[in-house]
Amino acid sequence: MFSAIARVIKTPDLRTKILFTLGIITIYRIGVFIPAPSVDYGNVQMCLAQGDTSGGLYSFVNMFSGGALLQVSIFALGIMPYITAAIITQLLRVVIPAFERLQKEGPEGQARLTQYTRYLTVGLALLNATTIATLARSGALLNCNQSLLNDSGIWATLLLVMTLAMGAIVIMWMGEQITERGVGNGMSLMIFVSIAAGFPAGLGAIWQTQGWRTFALVMVIGIAVMMLIVFVEDSQRRVPVQYARRQIGRRTVGSTTTYIPIKVNMAGVIPVIFASSILMLPQILIQFNMPTDGSEPAGWVVFLQQYFGSGSHPIYMATFFLMTIFFTYFYVTITFNPQDVSDNMKRQGGFIPGVRAGRPTVQYLEYVISRVTFVGALYLGMIAMLPLIAFVLIGADENFPFGGTSILIMVGVALNTIKQIDAQMEQRHYEGLLR
Amino acid sequence: MNFELVLQIILVIVSVSLVFAILLHKGRGGGMSDMFGGGVTSGLSSSGVAERNLNRLTVTLALLWGGIIVVLGLMSRFSGDF
Repeated sequence: MFSAIARVIKTPDLRTKILFTLGIITIYRIGVFIPAPSVDYGNVQMCLAQGDTSGGLYSFVNMFSGGALLQVSIFALGIMPYITAAIITQLLRVVIPAFERLQKEGPEGQARLTQYTRYLTVGLALLNATTIATLARSGALLNCNQSLLNDSGIWATLLLVMTLAMGAIVIMWMGEQITERGVGNGMSLMIFVSIAAGFPAGLGAIWQTQGWRTFALVMVIGIAVMMLIVFVEDSQRRVPVQYARRQIGRRTVGSTTTYIPIKVNMAGVIPVIFASSILMLPQILIQFNMPTDGSEPAGWVVFLQQYFGSGSHPIYMATFFLMTIFFTYFYVTITFNPQDVSDNMKRQGGFIPGVRAGRPTVQYLEYVISRVTFVGALYLGMIAMLPLIAFVLIGADENFPFGGTSILIMVGVALNTIKQIDAQMEQRHYEGLLR
Repeated sequence: MNFELVLQIILVIVSVSLVFAILLHKGRGGGMSDMFGGGVTSGLSSSGVAERNLNRLTVTLALLWGGIIVVLGLMSRFSGDF
């Protein structure tokens, strides 16, 4: 293991890439602690010290920004606008045929789609920044009755909005630079770093409030869950494909056996992110429809408050679980098209042994995918429930470090990055990091 | 106080040009599926002279942007000295 790491460092090309990645990440983390202009740093610290910022509406967003949001720093929006933009363009592919055509055009069309995503990011960043600035102006961002700005004039607020939006765009650019010249995918590494940054604090909180016994238990469970995730992420069903022998000119090609890998968890963490984002809506509604004068809120607000107000109610948990399963199927349907796979195979003279080409192949693939995905969806749902279960069992708060989404993202990103480093090492005929 | 206003105006100008500089870049990475555990897609980095110059411009603007924000923050922290 250590000698493998030494080999990574000795490869000049790889070393440059890794150092570049680390450098960008360092800049990102430094930026998180720079307060945005016209923010009153003293007031922010005071409101944070008053407590009551955890849980509820923004804990999820805050997790993705690595604590930057609650400090109203220049990178407060984090990678969130880009993720939202990516989700929207992804979903629009189903609605707008032109997008679907672009996707199928290959690299050129996909670059065009990415370009649309980036334009959309700018718009969404402006929108999000305006929300944050408004909340910061009234102090509602930190449940505090003091304004977080030192000057609530229109010019100062506009400056804040612009800086916050710019921060999100700069993060997007830094992520792209990592993808291009570093190792791993920049965007997901940014998320990884933000989540990992919250880990020590979360674990420390458990140690302090629950004692070392619970802490040890949490660690053991966490490691077990990680192993489980690695296991499932790497498991796949291999559908065999046989290519017929063909004569091209004087050469004989083909007659090879290969397989279509169908991952158990083809959708990754996206379903969990979708479900959490949608379940944030009731909380936003509650937040905005609570009467400020202390009178009794409307009936439907009470209803929402009772069933969706906190993450520990059984109905909330059940909804979350079902939504995760639904979105898993939804996403797999979008990303994997059996018809296309079957057509491609037929064109190259390939077939699945025992299944006729054409319609039977499509049906067979659909059958296999829906069954494999069923297990994957259950697994995703279970992992997503973990923090909620922990919430009930040991009274951890919603920033529980081994929470479903965060642990899934962390393990997924880490696996992916290591595989990329590995692939680069094998290109140079070294044995990789993985055995 | 006037100096602060000048800096803020410069910040606005730098931000707007930075947005354009970043948007002029070619997008890399193919969205969502690429982000969380998709296939390994290693794009060929075929950056021409124009792209390289644009990179330089973007980095300069980004550094300027960060620098102005830090100076503005320090000024508001120790206001009264200016």
